[in-house]
Order: sequence, then structure tokens, then C-alpha cells
Amino acid sequence: MSAPARVPFRNPGWAGNTGEFDLTEAEVRGTDFVGERPLDGGHESAAPSYPYMLPDKDPDAVLFEGPYRERFEKIRTRYPTARAALIPTLNLAQELRGHVSPETMDEVAALLGLASAEVRGTVTFYTMYNKRPVGRFLIQVCTNISCSLCKGEEVLEAFLRHTGTELGETSGDGDFTVIEVECLAACGFPVAVQINSRYYENVLPDDVPALLQRLREHGE
Amino acid sequence: MAYPYVHEREVRMISRNFGDPAARTLDGYRERGGYKGLERAFEIGPAAVIDEVKASGLRGRGGAGFPTGLKWSFMPKAGVKPHYLLCNADESEPGTFKDRELIRWDPHQLIEGCLIAAYAMGSRHAYIYLRGEFFEASQVMARAVEEAYERGFAGRRILGSENDIEVTVHVGAGAYICGEETGLMNSLEGRRGEPRVKPPFPAAVGVYSMPTTINNVETLAAVPHIVEHGGEWYRQWGTDKSPGTKLFCVSGHVEKPGNYELPLGFPMMELIEDVCGGMAGGRALKSVIPGGSSVPLMDVEDCRECTLCYEGVEAAGSMLGCASVIVMDDRTNIVREVRRMVQFYAHESCGQCTPCREGTPWMTQVLRRIEAGGGTEADLDTLLDMSAQMTGTTICVLSDSAAAPVVSSIEKFRDEYLALIHGAERAEVA
Repeated sequence: MSAPARVPFRNPGWAGNTGEFDLTEAEVRGTDFVGERPLDGGHESAAPSYPYMLPDKDPDAVLFEGPYRERFEKIRTRYPTARAALIPTLNLAQELRGHVSPETMDEVAALLGLASAEVRGTVTFYTMYNKRPVGRFLIQVCTNISCSLCKGEEVLEAFLRHTGTELGETSGDGDFTVIEVECLAACGFPVAVQINSRYYENVLPDDVPALLQRLREHGE
Repeated sequence: MAYPYVHEREVRMISRNFGDPAARTLDGYRERGGYKGLERAFEIGPAAVIDEVKASGLRGRGGAGFPTGLKWSFMPKAGVKPHYLLCNADESEPGTFKDRELIRWDPHQLIEGCLIAAYAMGSRHAYIYLRGEFFEASQVMARAVEEAYERGFAGRRILGSENDIEVTVHVGAGAYICGEETGLMNSLEGRRGEPRVKPPFPAAVGVYSMPTTINNVETLAAVPHIVEHGGEWYRQWGTDKSPGTKLFCVSGHVEKPGNYELPLGFPMMELIEDVCGGMAGGRALKSVIPGGSSVPLMDVEDCRECTLCYEGVEAAGSMLGCASVIVMDDRTNIVREVRRMVQFYAHESCGQCTPCREGTPWMTQVLRRIEAGGGTEADLDTLLDMSAQMTGTTICVLSDSAAAPVVSSIEKFRDEYLALIHGAERAEVA
């Protein structure tokens, strides 16, 4: 058993039940190898952008400056049309601002030379774009078939109960937003929960209080 | 014990590096025999690569099972138009969790597969479309692609040859329908991920209106092995119509859920009872969905003789799909689970076609009513009627997929529906 001792709950967030496998969490998740990505995103082939990645968001951040401008420029080089760079650009905007407001859509449209309506059409199609602000931790609980068979709905209820929120609403302290999500492709390790960018697997209803405590104290 | 669960009956080809973090680096991958397929591909030339893949009988692992070599041969000869290769890593079929493992344990295997496929089809740009939720996997993938560029395995003049192939990691933003090939193409163009009417087929008019081939992660992961060892070698596993090995994603009520790489044609009951350690808590089996939530449910009778290959599962009344085996025990409320699946399709319907846009939420409502004890027997006829109108009437098969579990569950588990319907009536009388 080599999962870090500081993890106070049965499931440390990686695929596999604690105590059965002799790899560390970092080895399974790849964090030891991946480490910190360079701020500018590295090589342009691999400067992708991720929807909601940061617990700290700045809704007024400039689109784009500094390393984010570099990443944006790199993204532009990888697609034959400006329009094709739209989704990575929106991802970048959301990574920075935490959600995609109508103003953000207009700004992104101007950056890429697209009509605002085109951008709005795209944004509203995809579930990962938050159309309004969310908490520091966006908790997405899978209740689709494989998780549903293994207490998915109970885990969702536990998250709502322990954060004291309604589905889709943000807790009073601004920390947590809990939503239901469709299949996260971690069906062998139910219940799958995604919190910001990170997957937590094998989550049971009883794990929820400790998990929330860990988030409050250690962040993601 | 190494992660993940490993069983002695597995044939670990594409999953050979699962649980081995050192294989994520380019050097680690090469030490384990990696990039030999690419070298051989450059030696034998594009036409011979396609011939090897054709000879192997490899079928698309994304669900449809279309022969990969044949698909590749549809691409026009290289001309003035750019050709594109897309790798579909938008893994989102409920029950499927193989691609994330393939990417996070063995990213270079996928890069090698992409390079070989792109080379064979004269494509100079490969996009790897990852679903937006895969943050970790995309980090691993991004780092691996970067390393491939640094070491001359991607980009200009690969391995000192005349071949230029760009590889780009693209991250989506959450939509099941982007796993449909033309939906994915629209998404890659920055549009709403709505599937396109075919024809024209992607090989003629695909992404950016150019000839395009799209393959699943698992398909491309098998390609380096086939090219390195030859198509005939690959046929030593599996059946005549379904050659090779396949990752089976087993989830639900089994002792050891996980990904198991087995030769196609493996008996279903042995997968559950032997490989997965039997039913969780020693309970009895009630139903299996063999290929992800889009395929018909099977009952115990169907499972008993079923072998897990494309033709075997078809003979048992379902489809192999992407081999996502969802196992349900005797306590499962079938109506509730079917409702949950249909609810998913209602959420994910892109809304282009009326039968799907209107049918999926309506079905969800009817199923909810039955689940809550307010249904009637006529509701079952309504559901079957709707299913008939939702099958084969839309641009893509999302609508058909929503109907499949409804029809099959009413056929095979009618008693469960009736118990809910009449249970309420009996309670009223009492």
C-alpha cells in the first residue's frame, strides 16, 4: 500500500481500490511524469487548452496577454481556419475566467474575426462551458448507467447534502458547485466524480465528507 | 499487485504497457519495442501498409466494426488537396473506459499508430480529438507528442525520411455526439457538433471539406503491432470474421471490473465468472449490455452461449459495439436503468432531427411514469411505437441507440415493467 498517507479517505482519486495495487497515485495518474506544464504551453502541437482547470479564476482577466497570448498564438498555427481555433480559444478563455459570459463570447469573436452569433451557437452546444460563474470547485458526479448501478445517485445526494447546495447552485462560501454529469469514461471505477480537472474514482457516499474536507484544506 | 487487474488468459498486446509508468516516455516506449512498426511502414511503403492492415482483418474498435484497411483504401490518391487523419478519443459511450487507459499508459503507441495511418493515406496532419474532461490524459498525450517532435518522430522529415506529418492534440468541450464521426468533424471546425448527412462520406469531403479518415484510439493502437509483425500474425487471435484482440471494459456488478485484453470470440460467461472474478458479492446475473449503452440488453439465456466477437454477439441478439460489458445483478431495477440511459440520450440529442429531439425526452417521461408506478400496459405499446419511429429515421444513430435498450428491455424483461404497472394497481385495490 503506497498511496500517500495524508489522504484521509479510502479512495485517493485514482483508478483502483486502495490496498490492492502497489503503484503510487502519481504513477497511475501520470502526474510524476507530466509535472508542471510550461506556462506558454510548450510546443505548439501540444499547447492545447482545457476548459476549467484553475480553482482561482479571474472573471476580468484580459483575453489574452503574457503566456496566455503565446498559447493563443500557438493554437492559431495548428488550424487551417480561424473558426477551427474557436473551441481551443474558448477553452483558454474559460481556463482564465472560470466561465464564458456573453461579453467573453463577443471578445472571442472579435479575436478570431467571427460573428458573435457563431460563437454563441458553439458555446451553447457544449456542456463544459459554464454560462455563469461556478464555485472554486466544480463537482461533477456521474450518474450514468455504470455509476448508477453502483450508487451514483446516492453519491450525488451526499455531495448536495454535505455542501448544502441545490443542484447547479453555488454554496454560500463560493467554494462548491455540484452538478450531475453524463458518463466520464471511468465506468470500471464507479462512482466517477470530476472535480475541476481531476477525476476521483471509486467514490462511495461515505467518502464525501472527507473528500470535501480535503478540498477545503488542500485544494484540488 | 500491479495496476490494473491482470488475468492470465489475457493477450496483452495494446495493453502490454498498462501499469508501467516508465513506458510513457519515448525512450521507455522504444526499450519496450516501440516505433518498430513505423520504421517498417517507411520501408515497405504506403500501399503495402494498407495491404497489411487489410490482411489483418482489423475492424474499427469504436463501435461499428468497419474493416479498417478497407476504410483506409477509400481515401483518394494524394493530390493537391490536403488529407487529414483524425483520431477519435472523444470516448463517451456509457460503459466505455478503454481509450483513457490507452492514452495515459501508452501515449506513444497511439502516436505511432497515427503516424503509420497518416503515412499510409498520404495525410500530413493528424488531429487527436480528446474529450474535454480528459485533463490528465491530455497532459500525458501533450507531453508525449512534444517529445516525439523533439526527437524527430513527428513534424518535418520524420526519422530522417522525406515524410512530414504534423500531430496536434485537440481538446473538446463536452458533448457525447462529438464521438460521431461527422459530429467530431464539425466540432473540429469550431462548430456545433451536429452530425452531417452522408453522403458525401468523409473520405471525399471530411474535416475542412477535405478527404478525411477517422479512427478510434484502440484501432490506431493496434496498427503498429500489425505493421511490425504482419497481418497474418494478427489473425492468430480471434475468429475468422473478428480477428485479433480487443479490450473489454467490464463495469457494473462484478468483483473485478476493469479493462481486459482478450482474443475476440471469448465466451461471455467465462469473462464474467473467470476473468472478472464472478459477480460481486456472489449474486446472480440478471442482464448484460455487451457493447455500451447503445446496444440491446441481453438476458441470462442470451449470455450463456454468447461468444464475444462481432458475429457472436449479433447472433445473441445484440451488438459488440465497443465491447463495453455492463453487468447487472438480480437486484437491478431494469426499468430504472433503462430510463437512466434514455435520459442520457435525451440530454445528448443534438436536436437536428425531430424523431430524436422529441422522442428521447418523451420516452424518458413515459419511463419515469412507469418507474413511479403510474404506468399502464398501453405505455409499453407507446414506447415500442416511438422506438419504431426513432429507428433509421435520423441523420445519425443516436436515436436508434436510445431505442435499442427500450425495445430489448420490453422484449426480455416485460415482467419487470408489468410488475411496476400492476404493482401500483394492486396497491390501490388493497
